[in-house]
Amino acid sequence: MDFKLSENTTMIADTARRYLKDNYSFDIYRSQLQEADHLHAARWQAMLELGWFGLPFPESCGGYGGNLVDVAAIVRETGAALCLDPFVDLVVSPGKLLEYINTSESLAILEDVIAGQARVACGLYDRYAGYQVTKPSLRLNGYRLSGQKHVVPDGGCAKRILVSAMAGDELLILALPVEQCQIERYRLLDGSRASSLMLDDLEITDAMILCRGEVARQALSGWFDYMCALDCARMYGAASQVFDDTLEYARTRKQFGTAIGSFQVIQHYLVDMFIDLQQLESMLLMVLVKAESETVSERVRATAAAKAYYASQAVRIAQQGIQIHGGVGVTEELNIGHYFRLITHCSLSHGSRDHHVSRFIEADAAV
Amino acid sequence: MNLEFSDEELAFRDTIRQWMKANVPDDLRRCTARGAMPGKEMQQRWERLLGEQGWLTVTWPEQYGGPGWTATQRYIFDLERASAGAPPTSPFGVAMVGPVLYTFGSPEQKDRWLPGIRSGEMLWCQGYSEPNAGSDLASLKTRAERHDDHYLVNGQKIWTTQAHWADMMFCLVRTDSTVKQQQGISFLLIDMKTPGIEVRPIYSIDGHHHLNEVYFTDVKVPVENLVGTEGMGWTIAKFLLTHERTTIAGVADTQNEINRLKAALATMAENYDKHQAARRVAALEIDLMALEYTNFRTVAATDEGKPFGPESSGLKIKGTELQQSVSQAMVELGELLSLPWDNEQPIGNEVFNRASRRYNFLRACTIYGGSNEIQKNVLAKMLLGL
Repeated sequence: MDFKLSENTTMIADTARRYLKDNYSFDIYRSQLQEADHLHAARWQAMLELGWFGLPFPESCGGYGGNLVDVAAIVRETGAALCLDPFVDLVVSPGKLLEYINTSESLAILEDVIAGQARVACGLYDRYAGYQVTKPSLRLNGYRLSGQKHVVPDGGCAKRILVSAMAGDELLILALPVEQCQIERYRLLDGSRASSLMLDDLEITDAMILCRGEVARQALSGWFDYMCALDCARMYGAASQVFDDTLEYARTRKQFGTAIGSFQVIQHYLVDMFIDLQQLESMLLMVLVKAESETVSERVRATAAAKAYYASQAVRIAQQGIQIHGGVGVTEELNIGHYFRLITHCSLSHGSRDHHVSRFIEADAAV
Repeated sequence: MNLEFSDEELAFRDTIRQWMKANVPDDLRRCTARGAMPGKEMQQRWERLLGEQGWLTVTWPEQYGGPGWTATQRYIFDLERASAGAPPTSPFGVAMVGPVLYTFGSPEQKDRWLPGIRSGEMLWCQGYSEPNAGSDLASLKTRAERHDDHYLVNGQKIWTTQAHWADMMFCLVRTDSTVKQQQGISFLLIDMKTPGIEVRPIYSIDGHHHLNEVYFTDVKVPVENLVGTEGMGWTIAKFLLTHERTTIAGVADTQNEINRLKAALATMAENYDKHQAARRVAALEIDLMALEYTNFRTVAATDEGKPFGPESSGLKIKGTELQQSVSQAMVELGELLSLPWDNEQPIGNEVFNRASRRYNFLRACTIYGGSNEIQKNVLAKMLLGL
């Protein structure tokens, strides 16, 4: 076995870290939190030029053929930097779905995504179906569509939404123009922007239907696993930053005339965080390799295990980070509480711990 | 990144698997399947069998009779050993005093003691803890006074696992009480048949006799049984703490326990809440996966020649916590079936019949080998600089 990152992946990670260090900060994050549109033109252009938009996609689709390990190297850094730029929401997430759908229509849209010309987002969840991503409750009635999609992460600026719906027993994936939908925009737990789509007797044209049936089911299932792995990468980046900052705080914060890091109870908390972080890194490396596996049961078992593990242990690190910081840890002014929100957010998006424990049991039975 | 075993490693695995299948004694296999621990005769018969193959001392360098396997091969060997239903080998000779001897011992000491450890003929025990020196090991008081060609040892050791089986004890003794605590400690090898040694049993909460008190009254130990020099004992003890132990997390045996639990759950009655039990087991399997991949990473790093440092403390902490969680789940999921203590015939699946004994036994695993709290103190100092 070999757990070393390739030279190329290391370079991607280093470049991303340096870019975000020079061009993003906690202050920028806090002002971006107040904005309705999270697409920052200059940084968006820079990310395009850094090659991030093409990285996740095969060369046959006009991408640079990076694997999940490469993409996660960037997402880890965006997690560590609390960066709200909608790189995953407007590029990786819709792009991977379009790639997996793999029709000439979907690939044409993907080309625009890679070129930074499209504003596409994924609206695949609704309040009735939860994270049963291949079983949407939205239903077509002939060529009319009424109903809602919730928590569509769209950076506040998507022009088109990829939506799943049922037509009779058949699963469809549609590309809906935002201008024809009623939309309510809001902020999510992690500070990112999202929408609810309210569809009221929207007329569907054949051109809006990207794929059907088994193609749609397989595309969504592969997409879901890919996104679960990226959730873990983002949580890892955030959790390792929480650990670093908390360790530094314990070394410098003085109470009872000495650094709180000299107290045994604080030392043991920090050691627990350190050990958990090591295990989280192991799970991340595991899931990044297995989430793209050809064998579905192996893929599902790996992503379910990783997401369930992160939902308890990464969250635990964030909680302990706040606890060791004390009062200042629960303020908006300090970054720790924002990491806590980010990690909690990612632990819930694409399925909570309970959901993934259930998936793990199903996948285990299938092996 | 590559998370698969190579073709050569898979071929190695098959070889080991076949050998285990043909050679793990039936009585030993049945003993493990019941969740029981083998007695001295059964354990030693198995270790001698491994010794004949040269597979008892798999972690040793080739020049001392190790098989020259990579860390990955040793890890695979351990997986196959556990899944074939064989228990771990006793650590005191093979994993503890052996490495001390080939690292710090004189040529005469190596020639004299290593062969018996390699073959499984000679059993060892560890004389570290004392009634007033547990976690604070450096405060130990057992004295060894130099008289011409021998030391005279007086004092008491406690929690000495398998002292009633052992031929020899490796022992930390105080040879100088005028210097700093740590600097006055020496490492002695003591023949358990020497006059003046008394071994008294301690029964632990699993109802069995593993532990002992050992009393020394004017015990004569030849000076050639001193390892290293006087005052080197603490250095040697610390060496053992970070000595490579790629199987310290106990992944193979914990996986085996989970498999036994899953098989037993399948036999439960119709009205048993299998759904709830499956969720509990899944959570444990997920925790095991995180430990397993962390262990894989340390194994891979070892094969790349990177030293296996204080990370082994992390594996020990997580590994023992998980052993306890699995054994607790076994007792709780067995419900009524876990209550009988000394019945001959299991009232349900035999896995549950022994589960409460094992659960009791495993309360010790977060204490022995340096309690988890001590491990955390070490990590805080060495890794976090606190």
